[in-house]
Amino acid sequence: MGVGPDFEYRTSPDSFLAVRCTRCGVVYLDRRPDISELDRIYPDHYHAFAFTEDRFGFVYSVRRRLEAKRLLHTFRDLPDTARILDVGCGDGFHLDLLQSFGPKGWGLEGVDIDDRAISAARRRGLTVHRGRVENLELPEASFDAALMIQTVEHLANPVAVLRAVHRLLVPGGRLLLVTDNTGSLDFTIAKRRHWGGYHFPRHWYLFNAQSLRRLAERCGFTVASMGTMMSPVNWVYSARNALDDWGASREIVDRLSLESPVALAAGTVLDTVHQLVGRGALLRAVLTRPR
Amino acid sequence: MTRAPVFVLGAGFAGLTAAVELQRLGHDVTVFEANDSIGGLATSHHLGGVQYDTGAHFVTNRLATAVGVMDQCDDAERYGEAVWSRGQCASYPFGLMRSPRFAGSALLARLQSRAPARTAADRFRAEYGRTLADEVAIPLIEAWSGLPAEELSPSVADKIPGGIAQTIALTAARRLTRRAVAIGYCAEAPQSANVWHVYPRAGLEVFTQHLADQLVGKIRLQSPVEAINIEGTREQRMRVVGVRVGGRDHEGSAVISTLPAPLLARLVDHPLVAPVADLQFRAMVFVQLHLRGRGLLPEPVTWFPERRRPFFRVTEAPMSMPWFAPPGETVLTVDFGAEVHDAIWAADDAALAVTALEGLTDLIPDIQARYIGVTSTRTPIAYPVYALRTEPARLAIATHGIGGLVSAGRNGEFAHLLMEDVYWRTLRIVRALAR
Repeated sequence: MGVGPDFEYRTSPDSFLAVRCTRCGVVYLDRRPDISELDRIYPDHYHAFAFTEDRFGFVYSVRRRLEAKRLLHTFRDLPDTARILDVGCGDGFHLDLLQSFGPKGWGLEGVDIDDRAISAARRRGLTVHRGRVENLELPEASFDAALMIQTVEHLANPVAVLRAVHRLLVPGGRLLLVTDNTGSLDFTIAKRRHWGGYHFPRHWYLFNAQSLRRLAERCGFTVASMGTMMSPVNWVYSARNALDDWGASREIVDRLSLESPVALAAGTVLDTVHQLVGRGALLRAVLTRPR
Repeated sequence: MTRAPVFVLGAGFAGLTAAVELQRLGHDVTVFEANDSIGGLATSHHLGGVQYDTGAHFVTNRLATAVGVMDQCDDAERYGEAVWSRGQCASYPFGLMRSPRFAGSALLARLQSRAPARTAADRFRAEYGRTLADEVAIPLIEAWSGLPAEELSPSVADKIPGGIAQTIALTAARRLTRRAVAIGYCAEAPQSANVWHVYPRAGLEVFTQHLADQLVGKIRLQSPVEAINIEGTREQRMRVVGVRVGGRDHEGSAVISTLPAPLLARLVDHPLVAPVADLQFRAMVFVQLHLRGRGLLPEPVTWFPERRRPFFRVTEAPMSMPWFAPPGETVLTVDFGAEVHDAIWAADDAALAVTALEGLTDLIPDIQARYIGVTSTRTPIAYPVYALRTEPARLAIATHGIGGLVSAGRNGEFAHLLMEDVYWRTLRIVRALAR
């Protein structure tokens, strides 16, 4: 399917192979980095540890408002005392949104395995469990909702994690899952090497609507909604990776970054068009634990 | 298949690939290698400051990544092929089409309806036109095979899928990306601007060693397999039940043989496998000329279709991999088709050097003054001969019907496979067997 190096952080001299299962359509990284290498492949300036206002400025505030609106819309009918778990919470960006903009009575908790992410999230005053959700002994059926926002693609065993989340949700509880979409046009164009969503070697499993639905159903969920949402990020990275790879000047490559409003605006325009025809860059699914 | 041991015959690239995959699928695997070292054809030679190989030449970044050794590979600087004929050089394939004679004949052939070709000669003439076939394609295939094209199967001309438009696009990608984008080097996985030639700096053994490192205690060197034991008769289902090595029987459920296919007939005592004994490989003598200078050929691989020359292809690998020779020097590998024990096979290095240097004088007029030294390598199993006479035997390799016995790899499949195809095909064969 695709082969490429770590374009963004250059954490390894090696390159990585993405392959697609001919039976289920899942795209996965063949020969994943060893678990002991997580510290290396997620460097200290990795965006999920360091997506901060002072670094991303305008972009940060726009993203915050947009995401808050979308999240609260999804969870608009949750009771004021609901408990919500963010699996793979990173620096706590999304929990912080719920904390800031949602009802004050919500019980918000996060899970992550990376100490740097956990301390960033705790600095925001959030409750974060350290470890894997499938190993943590959280009480069964104790959460009304869960988030997995750009988490599932980083997992070594998505099935085990989704089953664990299923167990933690109350019957009727909802999981909001967002992940890169291999049904998107930029994947089709750049899948051989430069696709931003590969994020070599950090994204291990990648889905389209069909394969994500299959995963959800295999883990006992029913799919309440499955759609795509606009994101300029993969477009920007696909273009950046291609230009970088083909030896374009540093000046041009550096303009294509998440810190550049112009690049993001261009990506936004592009992806909005595709979002309108249902092929946005991110898959957004709401899954329900059946009653 | 049960979890009884699986045996892999041969510790070359295909055998080691098969063994690693079997192990990954949870099988107990043992590799038997007749020689005292691993690697088989996928071995680079290092001699007097120069490097060369005689089996597997180019690998791609995709293959190196799949095997897990890309961090030890460097990009090939360039890659291209040319044809030298009638004192002129034409790049392949587009340069040939600049000749009105070739282009006209090819166009005419395209316009004519054709019956299915019965021989390689028919097929080349139908596809390329009479002029191009008779002056270039047929002489080359005959030198390569050692048989007249009328006695070769049309399947020898099976090509990598991909049309003219794709070749043009990939050629443009070479310019744009300044990489040796692989064109026509893999049939099993898609061609793309993002797949290019690379080479392990330390030699091809990087590949086989990396695979062998994952098979600790599973490889038995100096262990030629004497027989593949099968059970059952023609009426009942026949299956592999083990192998005999060093006079001792080992019980197992399957055998993946990467040995040259004709050898299977000696190891399996059964009429279903007997026909493969007829398959023949073309022998080759590879002469490495160590010369002063660099970039002596028009392209790293240059073909010589004129029959008056005793060789048909010359490769200047240092044009692609500069570290193959010291700066200011180069190595040309000159390919002589041979029969085991014929005059070429028996010739000593000095005589081969004289023949090669003389044959190249029209292309490189000062070649004598550039000469530093010579070595040669002989292999009796260089290329499979797709003889019409042995087509049924070639098909029997895959259709013999003995359960648990498969023949894989370039020699095992008796097919002219390039290294990346060997890899993907072997994985496919192993997975089908393990299912």
